[in-house]
Amino acid sequence: MEQAASERLARQLTEVVGARYVLADLYERRLYQYDASPETALPDLVVIPGSAEEVARVLKICGEAGVPIVSRSGATGLSGGCVPIEGGVELAFSRLNRILEIDYENLRAVVEPAVVNLSLSLTTRPHGFYYAPDPASQAASTIGGNVGTNAGGPHTVNHVTGLEIALSSGELIQVGAKKSAERTGYDLTGLLVGSEGTMAAVTKIWVKLMPVSPVSKTLLAVYPDVATASEAVSGVVAKGILPAAIEMMDNASIRAVEAATHAGYPVEAGAVLLLEVDGIREVAEDLTQQMLQVCKEYGASELRVAKDEAERQALWRGRKAAFSAMGRLAPDFYVMDGVVPRTRLPEVLRAIEKISERTGYRIANVFHAGDGNLHPLVLFDGFKPGQYEEVLEIGNEVLKLCADVGGSITGEHGIGLEKRQHMRFVFSDDDLEVMDIVRRVFDPKKQMNPGKIFPVDGEEAHPVRARVTAPRARAPAGVAGDEEIWI
Amino acid sequence: MRTEARPAIPGHELSTEEQRALAVDGVLPSRVMRHSSPGDAARGLQLCAEAGAAVIACGGGTQMGLGMPPLRYDVAFSTLGLNRLLEHEPADLTCRAEAGMRLEELQTILQAKGQRLPFDPPHPDQATLGGIVAANTNGLSRAKYGTVRDWVIGIAVAYPSGKVARAGGKVVKNVAGYDLIKLHIGALGTLGVVVEVNFKVQNIPAAEGTVLARFERAEDALAAGHWLARRYLLPAWLVVLNREGLGLTGLAAEWPWALAARIEGYRQDVDAARAEVSDAVRRHTGRVEAQEAPAGFWEAIRDWSAPAQNAAVVFRMASSLIGIKQAVEAVGTDGGVAAQPAAGIAHVRVAANAASVLQRLRRASPDGTQVIVERAPAELKASLDVWGPVPAGFALMQGLKRALDPTSSLSPGRFVGGI
Repeated sequence: MEQAASERLARQLTEVVGARYVLADLYERRLYQYDASPETALPDLVVIPGSAEEVARVLKICGEAGVPIVSRSGATGLSGGCVPIEGGVELAFSRLNRILEIDYENLRAVVEPAVVNLSLSLTTRPHGFYYAPDPASQAASTIGGNVGTNAGGPHTVNHVTGLEIALSSGELIQVGAKKSAERTGYDLTGLLVGSEGTMAAVTKIWVKLMPVSPVSKTLLAVYPDVATASEAVSGVVAKGILPAAIEMMDNASIRAVEAATHAGYPVEAGAVLLLEVDGIREVAEDLTQQMLQVCKEYGASELRVAKDEAERQALWRGRKAAFSAMGRLAPDFYVMDGVVPRTRLPEVLRAIEKISERTGYRIANVFHAGDGNLHPLVLFDGFKPGQYEEVLEIGNEVLKLCADVGGSITGEHGIGLEKRQHMRFVFSDDDLEVMDIVRRVFDPKKQMNPGKIFPVDGEEAHPVRARVTAPRARAPAGVAGDEEIWI
Repeated sequence: MRTEARPAIPGHELSTEEQRALAVDGVLPSRVMRHSSPGDAARGLQLCAEAGAAVIACGGGTQMGLGMPPLRYDVAFSTLGLNRLLEHEPADLTCRAEAGMRLEELQTILQAKGQRLPFDPPHPDQATLGGIVAANTNGLSRAKYGTVRDWVIGIAVAYPSGKVARAGGKVVKNVAGYDLIKLHIGALGTLGVVVEVNFKVQNIPAAEGTVLARFERAEDALAAGHWLARRYLLPAWLVVLNREGLGLTGLAAEWPWALAARIEGYRQDVDAARAEVSDAVRRHTGRVEAQEAPAGFWEAIRDWSAPAQNAAVVFRMASSLIGIKQAVEAVGTDGGVAAQPAAGIAHVRVAANAASVLQRLRRASPDGTQVIVERAPAELKASLDVWGPVPAGFALMQGLKRALDPTSSLSPGRFVGGI
């Protein structure tokens, strides 16, 4: 944006939110140029509104000025979703972080977008209820961000019953059933969840609360390799058991995790499986016995059931720290979010192994085996010239692989900037055309988070690789694993 | 002035008898189209749009009573030629089928592998997959297992542009692209015609059980239902009926109010839930009358909201869990009631004075409650405000309609606000 235009816009926005909440200095804007992906881009201005009405007024001003608007709250996204690739105004929601209402009688809560996911469940759990979507980033990611990418174990969309949205026209509307069972008309709420801020800015969210399961039992099973562990998963599912979570880690991940957290995983193991079932005590115990039996039949070399909540948390801690622990193995990693039908897991994992052998890059695997959601982590050193580019190529290949077996290119991280060209792996021009038509109904000039989700003609996959700017400072040896990165 | 000749309306001519069978709210189509591939269906829609013909998609016809009478209706667009199962991978707990397949047919295939779709709409032998999506037909298990939107993971839709476009996919976890699935669920075919649906499915629960209880007062039966609605072991079906409602199920019991719970899960779940339901009944001054249901009872309750008689008038009330209690109490003796206290839903079958009862219910219900006419005889419908006030965001809905169906050829006038 031209200096003069930017200054004029800053003056207008200052009238709405106050001088303190319009950031124009380069130093301050740099703090808003990133998310948890490697891509960065500077916004022209950062605006931090203090109410839904202010959001709507900011949007109206930006809308009239033809300026891009990018919503951002926790910035834990892994796909560049809130990176302002076309500049413009970064709309930071950090001040809209209140839980507005918890209505236990009607099993609903009303929250502002920057409420941290976990804080809602922490607030409601003592009353016997919780908010079900639980992305592994839940201690840092916000419900507004989760709505943007439709993130979380059970998808956010099934737990959001209403939204207040601001449009680029400056309108502020509340859509959806909210506390009611249903509302007539098209399901705008369902459509908006997962639209990654490309249609509207969300200013308020109505969500469902659920009764907490009386008991959760967690089981760790150790296998010589990932293929056998995958077969054990199939065996469990074939028994008609559908655990609340089925998580798997391969040897590279286990070694990294063990070095970082001492969770007690056997470092020689080819794969560990974490299985968790919910239910009333009798059912949870019975299912655990059945799963132990199946896991044994499939050749588990070690089986461990968490005896109490402390042990259960310890088992999970290893899994949740898996990504940050990768720092033990390499300075950088690149993570993917492919999904495949569960039955195709073994073959896809073999193919990924082949890619690793061929390219010489180590690929660690941590994934949600229950729903076929893979998170291959390609380990590399960003300081070595050319490595990042090569790693992105591996990413292309893995996502193509997932798409080709009938899967998806993203299970929870969203398309964002990172995968916009990969959309063509799973959608035809006709599919994309309808999506574009729908988007323009909400935002005719395409000012809301431009450059995301939709592929750009004539561009190769990973269009932004050249824009990766200054190399990040190398962390001092020995600190990797001390901070958690969640996926 | 020069006028351009429009192409003729496509499709096959209908006999008078066929016309009557395909009538929507008394409006007769002149032609019928039926296709056996999604691509052909899309080209058919394009021909209709070019001819300026109004199209109404129909499958099994169980929910054609929804919506306002059509403004125009030329072509009955049958999906029954699209009736194949395309994929079912039991180990993935997913399947893919064409929209014209009957639910019962799919359930039979799934059942052979110990699986099912937890859908229980009225008349599953007639209702088609596409119709269930388009009408968003949710049965009695919606509180426990969710609604149509929770089980559809992918969709293919034929548009008047002549194109077929997909959204979602075949895997259970997927956030790629806009969730256009949601746009078509409950859209009554006003934005496009659903031609294929991908579902996730579930394992059939190991055990089931029943509790039937009698209450003297509405507020107690509903309070017991609300108490259960917030429990972990929610029954699969939880229905509160008044005397009139119960009478319509064929159960020969003269209870002022009844609570019927159908419980599913593992054996231990069923035992524990049965004890919980009984406890809830006693806490709220009710009496457990039976631990099993007479033959045909659950089917009668399932089909309760969609009676075969043309004269029937059915309203659907939707509210919060607390709001539905008040809304149901407002019905009084004006009709049969089947309420789902855990879902915030109640169906009301009205015998007489439909228009005034509707008005009264809308006035007497708490804020945020919505009362719609789910079915009514054609001659009565014109005098009823079927959908009630337009919802917030209506301008966006109109925009979506204009963008995807620019000539308004799809079910014109039937949807909310005359869309």
